[in-house]
Amino acid sequence: MDNKTVETISYLARLKLDKDKKDKITKDLENIINFVDELQDINTDDVTPLANPLEKTAPKRKDFVNSKDRKEVFLENSPQSDQDYFIVPKVVE
Amino acid sequence: MSWETVIGLEVHAQLSTSTKLFSSASTKFGSEPNTQVDLVDLGLPGVLPVVNKDAFKKAITFGLAINADINQESTFDRKNYFYPDLPKGYQITQMTQPIVEGGSIEINVDGNIKTINITRAHLEEDAGKSIHDAYPDKSVIDLNRAGTPLLEIVSEPEISSAKEAVSYMKALHQLVTFLDVCDGDMSQGSLRCDANVSIRKVGDSELGTRTEIKNINSFKFIEKAINFEIKRQIKVLENGDKVIQETRLYDSLKDETRPMRSKEFANDYRYFPDPDLLPVIISDDEMDEIKDSFPELPNEKSKRYISELKIDENEAQIVSSSRELSIFFELAVDSESDPKLAANLLVGEIGSLLNKDNIKINESNLSSDNFNTLLKRISDGTISKKIAKTVLADIWDSGKDADEIIKNQGLVQIQDESIIQDVAQKILEANPDQVAAFKGGKDKLFGFFVGQVMKETQGKANPKSVNDILKKLLS
Amino acid sequence: MSIKYKTLSELKELLEKKDISSFELVEETFKNISSSKTNSFITLNEEVALTKAKEFDQGECEGDLAGLPIAQKDLFCTKNLRTTCGSRILENFIPPYNATVVENLSKAGSICVGKTNMDEFAMGSSNETSYFGAVKNPWDLERVPGGSSGGSAAAVAEGLVCAATGTDTGGSIRQPAALCGITGIKPTYGRASRWGMIAFASSLDQAGAFARNAEDCALLLNHICSHDEKDSTSLSNDKENYLENINNDLKGKKIGIVKEFDISNLSKEVQDSFEQSKKIFESLGANFVEVSMPNIKLSVPTYYVVAPAECSSNLSRFDGVKYGYRAENVNDLEDLYIKSRSEGFGDEVKRRILIGTYVLSAGFYDAYYKKAQQSRRMIKNDFVKAFSEVDVIMSPSSPSSAFKIGSKTEDPIEMYLEDLFTISSNLAGVPAMSIPHGFSKNLPIGLQLIGNYLEESEILNFAHQYQKNTDWHIRNPDFGDNS
Repeated sequence: MDNKTVETISYLARLKLDKDKKDKITKDLENIINFVDELQDINTDDVTPLANPLEKTAPKRKDFVNSKDRKEVFLENSPQSDQDYFIVPKVVE
Repeated sequence: MSWETVIGLEVHAQLSTSTKLFSSASTKFGSEPNTQVDLVDLGLPGVLPVVNKDAFKKAITFGLAINADINQESTFDRKNYFYPDLPKGYQITQMTQPIVEGGSIEINVDGNIKTINITRAHLEEDAGKSIHDAYPDKSVIDLNRAGTPLLEIVSEPEISSAKEAVSYMKALHQLVTFLDVCDGDMSQGSLRCDANVSIRKVGDSELGTRTEIKNINSFKFIEKAINFEIKRQIKVLENGDKVIQETRLYDSLKDETRPMRSKEFANDYRYFPDPDLLPVIISDDEMDEIKDSFPELPNEKSKRYISELKIDENEAQIVSSSRELSIFFELAVDSESDPKLAANLLVGEIGSLLNKDNIKINESNLSSDNFNTLLKRISDGTISKKIAKTVLADIWDSGKDADEIIKNQGLVQIQDESIIQDVAQKILEANPDQVAAFKGGKDKLFGFFVGQVMKETQGKANPKSVNDILKKLLS
Repeated sequence: MSIKYKTLSELKELLEKKDISSFELVEETFKNISSSKTNSFITLNEEVALTKAKEFDQGECEGDLAGLPIAQKDLFCTKNLRTTCGSRILENFIPPYNATVVENLSKAGSICVGKTNMDEFAMGSSNETSYFGAVKNPWDLERVPGGSSGGSAAAVAEGLVCAATGTDTGGSIRQPAALCGITGIKPTYGRASRWGMIAFASSLDQAGAFARNAEDCALLLNHICSHDEKDSTSLSNDKENYLENINNDLKGKKIGIVKEFDISNLSKEVQDSFEQSKKIFESLGANFVEVSMPNIKLSVPTYYVVAPAECSSNLSRFDGVKYGYRAENVNDLEDLYIKSRSEGFGDEVKRRILIGTYVLSAGFYDAYYKKAQQSRRMIKNDFVKAFSEVDVIMSPSSPSSAFKIGSKTEDPIEMYLEDLFTISSNLAGVPAMSIPHGFSKNLPIGLQLIGNYLEESEILNFAHQYQKNTDWHIRNPDFGDNS
């Protein structure tokens, strides 16, 4: 876990670390990764990964419209909007 | 140096469900912005997805149609990236266990049949829409489309030209509309594709570096975008440069592709199983249910039309090629209306009217009931086929009932042989020279007499009676 | 009449006998909260609560918990009431919907007096990561109440409310219950709906309850747990009455002691209390069996891969676009994302998002995430095997009693080890609870009871029988000398 890795993952997570905290957090991350590295030593051959503890299956919903227009509430609570839309800085595609 | 092209298509088909993949908001196209957004679609904190049963039904129907394997247990993964029209910061998709794997689609390129293998077809949610031209310095977001179910159909890189790509897309279009899996409306983005294009020297076994052209939404643009991209890549390689693996956009105004400026290349999607969704199991009973309601496909329809309804092969193929046309045809034909006549009119007269107006049959003024009436009036001799065309033209403009038009315009066929006999007699008397010539051996003049009688009766005389009577009078 | 430290059942009886009105109860509650020094609440719901109390007093509302003031952890979305999750990024977030748990408790007639303080996005074991300031332990204001549901635990321990909701992802109900000397329970994963519960780690998060005793917890669970069509991971089992088996005899029941849970290096008081509690259960007729759970030692590292991975994705929705905090003076969209998130999240949340991003990133997925999911199954299998031999598993709830505020903030791993005994039940999804069972230097310590899948009734039965024969649970910070 070096500075460059921290920069890459920070970018992926859209986070910027304060200058004065960057070294400390980098060190923390390194320690945490070292800590979880214990997992590397265990033998997991033939063990099926467990994604959800109860291993049930998903219910399926009927295709039936049951939702109301909440545009006003949504836009009102947004940081920036006009009458119809959420607004963000110009996106260049 | 000669180059060959390798193309793989990723087609996104919006499934024609009423609600979204994970929320009960409507998927209707064209509503006011942000009015079809549920708590789930906005990605509010703590809200959770529940899968839409019909989306699975449609995906499986497609899978069965292409002879693919259906994974009766499929799972959802999260694809993580930031974009303003992706409210949760991740897209829910099927990365590891898609619902459909394998299968193939036949395409027809200038009469040659080629099979394109399908890698997989998986369910995923659509993003919202970013609109960039509402304000000079801002973009705006409409989330109505966010969460709409998509079936992403991924082909093997087995397509070797822009033309084949278009044929493939047309075959897919026909299939998904027939199956009622997708409405196929490309102008509304219901069916759109990303094309992965690379070129290599003929004989090379390794694939060249590919570029991905995003979101092409018409048959014409698919052809143009791919052809542009092939030429561009050849130029790059022939200049001794390298093709850069990147995502490009097709600009239809300039007819060119250009690299997307967004930083998408820097992405690492960090796929992992969505912990909010458990594996989706399709039971054997559910599979049977889907199979039982499986629609008849164009090929089977065409064969049935030929064998059961005795329709001409060419016409059977045309009528069965589109879902709307075949539904219309089947509704219009019954024991009292002649299927051959129906097919013949649909392909001929009605086909040209549709082409002229550039619409689909269900968008025209002609209803299947009204067409059924028209067919019956031809079969029962009320009107001739020729008059039927006049009636059809009227319906096309006015949408009026066929019987009403026939009655109001006095188009009922003249069946009374004594009337026809009188007219024929008059015609022969008025044209003694032609009668003499006919009798002298000029057989072709028979048509002239028929024409004159029809003209005199404004086309309403029963053609068979006209023939019989003229023959008798001239013998 | 003082309502402080009264149990849910006691207050219910007072209301039923009309010895006190709901209005008086709620008014008194707000008076107590305003003089409290523990910083247990982030947002109060005074006006609405008093109106609801009046309605109850006028006979306009009914239900099992009617007229009773309770507190909601500020991680549950409450319609029209600010819900912050302890974070600046949601400082002004007002949800247009209720969490199902909130809805259920409201339908039972309870009155929400406010939203309790918590570690930011439930990431922490001390309540020090809250944007709204640390919560103080009512037993010693210089110490932490535990976390992440520290505000709820402290509010109940201080007698401000008789009950509060919590959530438990790795011990966030049990550890603060232990450190605050109260009873807290986390049901089986899937028992309580996660709809409207702001997600930290979706496959581990589970709602639960704090109260002054096990019986009250059972009553609360009767309403907190429900099948919910809006949560795909919600269990469809029939509704249970968790009070039904609470008085069962413990004779012949088997309690498992996990061989691999080494308590020999814990403080003498923790060890002594544990031995004492064993004796009490023995006197009630239960037997002790040693069970081996060889993979349980992998719990903490497994958890610190799974939980950050899920959280890194769950917290992507907080991007400053649709709701929540948006940074000012941004240059472009990327700048908006980065500044809003960097200013909106605290350090611990950032650490976990970064760890999660790292373990899911290309090239590391198999080594970390997949591996952790495999070890998660191994841990689950250990539980399945253990519960084929015993009825409940018993351990300390946390390695120590409440520590000083600021004493563990420098070393995240030391903090993570606070959840050493609690994390495995979240990974396996089994129910677990903590009950007070002694003191270490005047600070409460807790006993953990872990049950088999769907056996909440079993651990509640054990806890209730224990509490019928001990008085640790009726002690409170005003009790004076507790040694």
